[in-house]
Amino acid sequence: MSVATIKRDTSAKWLEEFELTAGNRLGAANATVKEKQQKAITEFAEKGIPDKKVEDYKYTNIRLYLNDEFGMKGNATRLKSSDIRHLFLGGHATIVMINGRFVHELSSLKNLPREVVVKNLFTVLKETDTVAGIEFNGQFDEKASPLTLLNTALTQDGISITVPKGYDCKGPLHLLHISSGTDKVLYNPRNVVKVGEGASLTLIESYCSVDLDEKIFTNSVTEMVVEKDATLNNYILQEEDPKASQSNLHQVSVGTTGKFNSVIVSLNGAMVRNDLNVSINGENAEIHMHGLFVVKDGHHIDNHSLVEHNVPNCFSNELYKGVVGDGGTGVFNGKIFVKQDAQKTNAYQSNKNILLGDNSTINTKPQLEIYADDVKCSHGTTTGRLDEEALFYLQTRGLDQDLARKVLLGAFAKEISDTVKDEAFRNHLEKRIQVHIV
Amino acid sequence: MLEIKNLKVSVEGKEILKGLNLKVNKGEVHAIMGPNGAGKSTLASVIAGKEDYEVTGGSILFNGKDILELSPDERAKEGVFLAFQYPIEIPGVSTINFLKTAVNEIRAHKGMGPMEAKEFLAMLKEKQKLVQIDTNLTGRSVNEGFSGGEKKRNEIFQMAMLNPQLAVLDETDSGLDIDALRIVAEGVNKLRSKENAFLVITHYQRLLEYIIPDFVHVLYNGQIVKSGTRELALELESKGYDWIKKEFSEIPA
Repeated sequence: MSVATIKRDTSAKWLEEFELTAGNRLGAANATVKEKQQKAITEFAEKGIPDKKVEDYKYTNIRLYLNDEFGMKGNATRLKSSDIRHLFLGGHATIVMINGRFVHELSSLKNLPREVVVKNLFTVLKETDTVAGIEFNGQFDEKASPLTLLNTALTQDGISITVPKGYDCKGPLHLLHISSGTDKVLYNPRNVVKVGEGASLTLIESYCSVDLDEKIFTNSVTEMVVEKDATLNNYILQEEDPKASQSNLHQVSVGTTGKFNSVIVSLNGAMVRNDLNVSINGENAEIHMHGLFVVKDGHHIDNHSLVEHNVPNCFSNELYKGVVGDGGTGVFNGKIFVKQDAQKTNAYQSNKNILLGDNSTINTKPQLEIYADDVKCSHGTTTGRLDEEALFYLQTRGLDQDLARKVLLGAFAKEISDTVKDEAFRNHLEKRIQVHIV
Repeated sequence: MLEIKNLKVSVEGKEILKGLNLKVNKGEVHAIMGPNGAGKSTLASVIAGKEDYEVTGGSILFNGKDILELSPDERAKEGVFLAFQYPIEIPGVSTINFLKTAVNEIRAHKGMGPMEAKEFLAMLKEKQKLVQIDTNLTGRSVNEGFSGGEKKRNEIFQMAMLNPQLAVLDETDSGLDIDALRIVAEGVNKLRSKENAFLVITHYQRLLEYIIPDFVHVLYNGQIVKSGTRELALELESKGYDWIKKEFSEIPA
């Protein structure tokens, strides 16, 4: 890969696109949004696409994967139902998103409970201004990253999912994100998920590619609100084509006694950058964050997370595991902030990695900033090779080296996949992990 | 069945086994005794195929085949089993799934298809009974959180499941209380047959009160310096190893 040719800042390109796409953007639906988009592009213009000089992108140079050869318009691929059926899980209600857009006719919504509202974000913003004011860009302040600003400015649509107050959505909702097409395109999908007071939802997101013939970059932002006493389980599997790259932000606000359980498993794609930012805004909230990344063959997976304990008496636990094979690069950067008022916080963070190849790299940086004095917090990271003693033990029982490695790596990964409560998805996950892990 | 000829083994340049000879026939139980550092565990590891050891001379024939060229799993498939002195904990690997895989790998090597689930479960039940191992132990990850005694019992349980021709027990008695020792020994005795053989490596005579050996060898300074019957073990127990050390300290390195 040639690095030298991509030194240029590509922000000018996107300012130009901002002018060109005026009529197609979300702002066309709603005046408040239009204002927000204008503000975002102005701020983005000052920052540009981040390179390695930006602290949060120190180990991930976005400019290697997104440059001004990318446009904003792709030839829509005409995918048929039969092209994607194999990606559906069990009998789960499935929302099909192609290149960030909700495709109703390919989706399977017969198992979607009446109470759960699933709509294009565009439609929602057109219907009401409250959503625009609160949920769209409601959680970002001056700290928004350049890529978030770019998404806010350029986004044209996405999905809005709302579970009303008190509704316990038993069956999981499957959000199937498919990248497809024949052009170099930057997509900026914007999603909003709201779980109302006392309600619950399991949202599965899987990312894959079908008939993808050209490099693409998906810059996705999902804003999630977990209200008082609500529960959101968010399970993510990333398995795009090696031509696809994605930056994927989940910005989550959790209210009093709210529960948020996140599992992110990243198995394929040229570059995957995840940002999982959880802001705890109500007491007695409980947060679990689990991640597994398997990376090799020149690919790059970066998991950034931020947990903000803003209020007292909350619990957060984070465990990310990485398996880095030959030629792979993994990054973990987890930050926990415990604000001064957040007494009696329990916050734990751990990152464990296995390096398999001679040419594999991991950059790991656990961070803990505590401004309260009565808390229990810990963080730590370990990186090592596969346990030789355990390998030998299994081999003396008749398992050859490859099989023994597979068994040990499977066990390493299982700690993460086991945290998925939905059986159909957990089984699917385990199968996909087995495919990628050796 | 097992024939070790003039075996020389080094670890990081230091010679541990210095021309060891041993012959074990079908149906026999051999005990290898010796003071600490004599090379007992090295012998066990080399038979099982551990990589850290450099074989600088000699051969190990198993049923006439030189197994030094074989990987540890190929040796296991040929019928060699090592009960570890310090069994490894492997979190996340279920004992039952792992044993099912192991049993089927060994069967595949013999040209047999995978075992029927029903048959496997029946065997599991039978062997659990044999070594009196609790189902709540076998239902867990391999050795995870097991006590020392439970780990050793699990080794014998695995041996029972895999039914090897040659089992090498590396200080299986160490760290066992008398009840656990008896259970482990009874398990071994029930598995003894005309078709298999055992190499029991131990520091103390105690285990040999329960597993009666046909032959006892004294390993010292990398060689077998004395061989005899059960009486030799009793003599070592009463006299200690010092007289061996004195008698054989002149062996040229």
